[in-house]
Amino acid sequence: MEKVNVDFLPDQKSANVEVGSNLLKAAHAAGAHINASCGGIGTCGQCKVFIEKGKYESKRSEKLTEEEWNMGYRLACQTTVLSDCTVIIPAESKLDRSVLKRKEAVKEEKSFGLTASKITIEDIFEASPVVTKRYVELSKPTIENNIADLSRLILGLKKQYDYENLEVDFKCLKNLANTLRNADWKVTALILEKEGQIPKIIGVEEGNTEESFYGVAIDVGTTTLYVQLLDLKNRTVLAESSDYNPQISYGEDVITRILYGIKPGGLERLQEVVIKSLNSLINETVKEANIDKSKISIIVFAGNTTMTHLLLGLNPKYIREDPYVPTVNFFPFIRAKNLGFDVADHVYLYPAPLIASYVGGDIVAGVMACGIHQTQELILFIDVGTNGEIVLGNSDWMVTASCSAGPAFEGGGVKYGMRATRGAIENVIIDRETLEPTIFTIGKVKPKGICGSGMIILIAELFEAGIITPDGKFLKNLGTKRVREGESGYEYVLAWKEETQIGVDLVITEVDIDNIIRTKGAIYAGCSVLLKSVGLDFTNIDKFIIAGGFGSFINIEKAIIIGLLPEIPVEKFMYVGNSSLAGARLMAFSKDKLLEAEKCANMMTNIELSNYSSFMEEYVASLFLPHTNLNNFPGVMGKIKKG
Amino acid sequence: MAFKEPVEKYNNSITEVSISDLKVGGQSVLTGIYSFDGPVPNPPKIAMEVLDVKPEEWPQTLVDAVGDVYDDPVKWALKCQNEFKADMICLSLVSTDPNGMNRSAEEAAKTAKAVLDAINIPLIVYGSLNSEKDGEVMKAVGEACHGKVILLGPADDENYRTVGGASLGYQHKVAAASPIDVNLAKQLNILLGNLGVPLESIVIDPTTGGLGYGIEYTFSVMQRIRLAALAQGDDKLKSPFINMIGKEAWKAREAKISESEEPSFGNLATRGILWEAITAINLLIAGSDIMVLRHPESVKLVRSFMNEFFK
Repeated sequence: MEKVNVDFLPDQKSANVEVGSNLLKAAHAAGAHINASCGGIGTCGQCKVFIEKGKYESKRSEKLTEEEWNMGYRLACQTTVLSDCTVIIPAESKLDRSVLKRKEAVKEEKSFGLTASKITIEDIFEASPVVTKRYVELSKPTIENNIADLSRLILGLKKQYDYENLEVDFKCLKNLANTLRNADWKVTALILEKEGQIPKIIGVEEGNTEESFYGVAIDVGTTTLYVQLLDLKNRTVLAESSDYNPQISYGEDVITRILYGIKPGGLERLQEVVIKSLNSLINETVKEANIDKSKISIIVFAGNTTMTHLLLGLNPKYIREDPYVPTVNFFPFIRAKNLGFDVADHVYLYPAPLIASYVGGDIVAGVMACGIHQTQELILFIDVGTNGEIVLGNSDWMVTASCSAGPAFEGGGVKYGMRATRGAIENVIIDRETLEPTIFTIGKVKPKGICGSGMIILIAELFEAGIITPDGKFLKNLGTKRVREGESGYEYVLAWKEETQIGVDLVITEVDIDNIIRTKGAIYAGCSVLLKSVGLDFTNIDKFIIAGGFGSFINIEKAIIIGLLPEIPVEKFMYVGNSSLAGARLMAFSKDKLLEAEKCANMMTNIELSNYSSFMEEYVASLFLPHTNLNNFPGVMGKIKKG
Repeated sequence: MAFKEPVEKYNNSITEVSISDLKVGGQSVLTGIYSFDGPVPNPPKIAMEVLDVKPEEWPQTLVDAVGDVYDDPVKWALKCQNEFKADMICLSLVSTDPNGMNRSAEEAAKTAKAVLDAINIPLIVYGSLNSEKDGEVMKAVGEACHGKVILLGPADDENYRTVGGASLGYQHKVAAASPIDVNLAKQLNILLGNLGVPLESIVIDPTTGGLGYGIEYTFSVMQRIRLAALAQGDDKLKSPFINMIGKEAWKAREAKISESEEPSFGNLATRGILWEAITAINLLIAGSDIMVLRHPESVKLVRSFMNEFFK
């Protein structure tokens, strides 16, 4: 795509953007800030600019007078640039200078943030999936050679593929005779090849089906389900889909979910609803990719310990009782159909191994996907979901811990919190003088709520703009109508009702801020105590990997300002998105990765933070912006003082 | 070889806070009575508590001691100063409680001013522990007492702006109260600092309970605050301590219950006094710099205990 330069005056900022880019976004990219409290949908009329030269297209807006229009004034949010342009931002559309000089971190993170879907796999490993397809052409039986059909198949496979020994699933014998004859003795055998076990024929398909070889990767989160349909032959993702975990109706967190699961009939109900949802997500992907569903050959899933128990129908009772013991850590292959999956008979499901009651297969999968077990560098890995799990280590050792972060970053416990989907506010800039916000939503539509990544930025902005104090309380009498007393204490209005999709003023309340501070405090304290437990601190970390469903990206700079992340060099951070799903995908692609996941699980030593008396103290110290120990955040303090 | 006493030395010291012509803090030793570890420029002080209205349902032991003056805060304060030799007076404006008599801030300020003018020892003025009202009251008291330096309090995480503002505006000192916790104490001092209140104007009220009501915990938290200040040099925790001892000790069932109800508890009068004195001595060893007491006999006991350390 052709690129053009847009220069903004009088700030002398410029952005190199694609032809057809939105002018407001270009200004944002350049670091030249323009007011736009409506989020760029043309209703507030604040982003008025004068386009001095260059080609553009702009929609007429009633917010501009006839005179202004004729003079060349346009609304930036309604304008797309078609050539190099020079744009003058009039004083009333501008934020104060201190803001203009701020480093804009957003665009940089997008480039360094490696998202899970981008983890390249082709170069890393060669091994085939744990289920392989073996095409054989067998000789027809004759009266001289009339050995049994199965013996003929096994002999053929042994001869062509050097198997020493082969087992067979009884289930695939039922139709074997017909399949062989229908296919004129040219068939593809599906063989499960797990290291240390005798390879087992689990299915036989007519003709050569090596080309249509599919798998499914699933991430079962407490809040969200993700499904990817995989082409195992070409190692690509064909389609993906996600939805809320329907078990939410039976409890928002794992504890209430377990309590429901131990009621009579509860476990069956929880298993049924989640599998039903997964079935429809699988169907969606099959439809989208337009493949033959019967050619799905394996399902790999990763979930936390409770979700794994509930999906498999295992009694979850003892997960939550001292001394917190899961039923099983390493799973056998399980026939998917027996669990209620609507797939072919021969499909096996493999659950990622678990570590402990509160550190599950999602973490094992994530650690494996990030390659922590393959590096000498010291890695701190955090997965922020409803629970925050932390892994520290490298190829020699790993320790894990879990802290109850709460669902704030996934949208829970925050009045207008939501998942990172269309309409979620993902970025906010607050004018330091007028205290007016400029909001950016996913999908560039009117806002519905705010997602995790947006919350991090919002709290940092409120703090930096001096609207909230370090203990997360609003300052009163700031002279803005945005801060007001609401039903549940003081609140800040992010968008007035006519600017939203929800028809009410979209606010962030003091209670919300409290919950977010608690979540960030638990994560920071968890990391800090885990490091201390092995005699290290944040300065020892070579790489800090962040996984989880914050949103499309996480603004590291802002996360440090609120003290969610430690103040270490920004280059050390890496955002990988949904690493659990990435791990499940890798395990489906390669049996080596499956073994590596088991190796990772074996390496990890779980540490119960509740056994550390210092956890509570670290936690209370973290319930402050950025932290009670200001010395740990010299950069943030310097910045706040200057501002 | 001659025996040499071990000495616990710290490179940091507690911030010296001047309330009128009286100073607290300044020591580099763990508590203000550890004179064997180093110099104690300002030994701990005993303040006596005076209420702004006649107290209701007070234990007879207290009524016997101050009952002749307790319906007049000025007379009461003078008695504490002249007869009981208190170092300071702590005027508790309990009548301003919106859930009680709800006296106005202006009335309260008048009382405070009258007491301040009558006595010649430094004054502490505490509110009714209703955060919002205390903010209002402290502003009025601060203004009325402008010209002399008093200690206002308590400032908490909800009213620190108004109470801190009163301290800043009228050059008073402020007692920062947070629920017994190292980090919470530090956070409040940071918030006050952000407001512009210098550390030299802050005293920490760690909100301690009476003997038998978790004193072990309060003891260890106070010592940890001290260790953070002295051993780790944490500036935000270097403030002297004030402890509201009398109020908490006399709340205890053990200090009030009659001999007929609990014969094994022994003589009621001495029991109440000892309860207060032992609470005070515990917190004194934990590092208290200003002990606010109620009974003249426990004042005597605590003072004689302290004197042992300064012989």
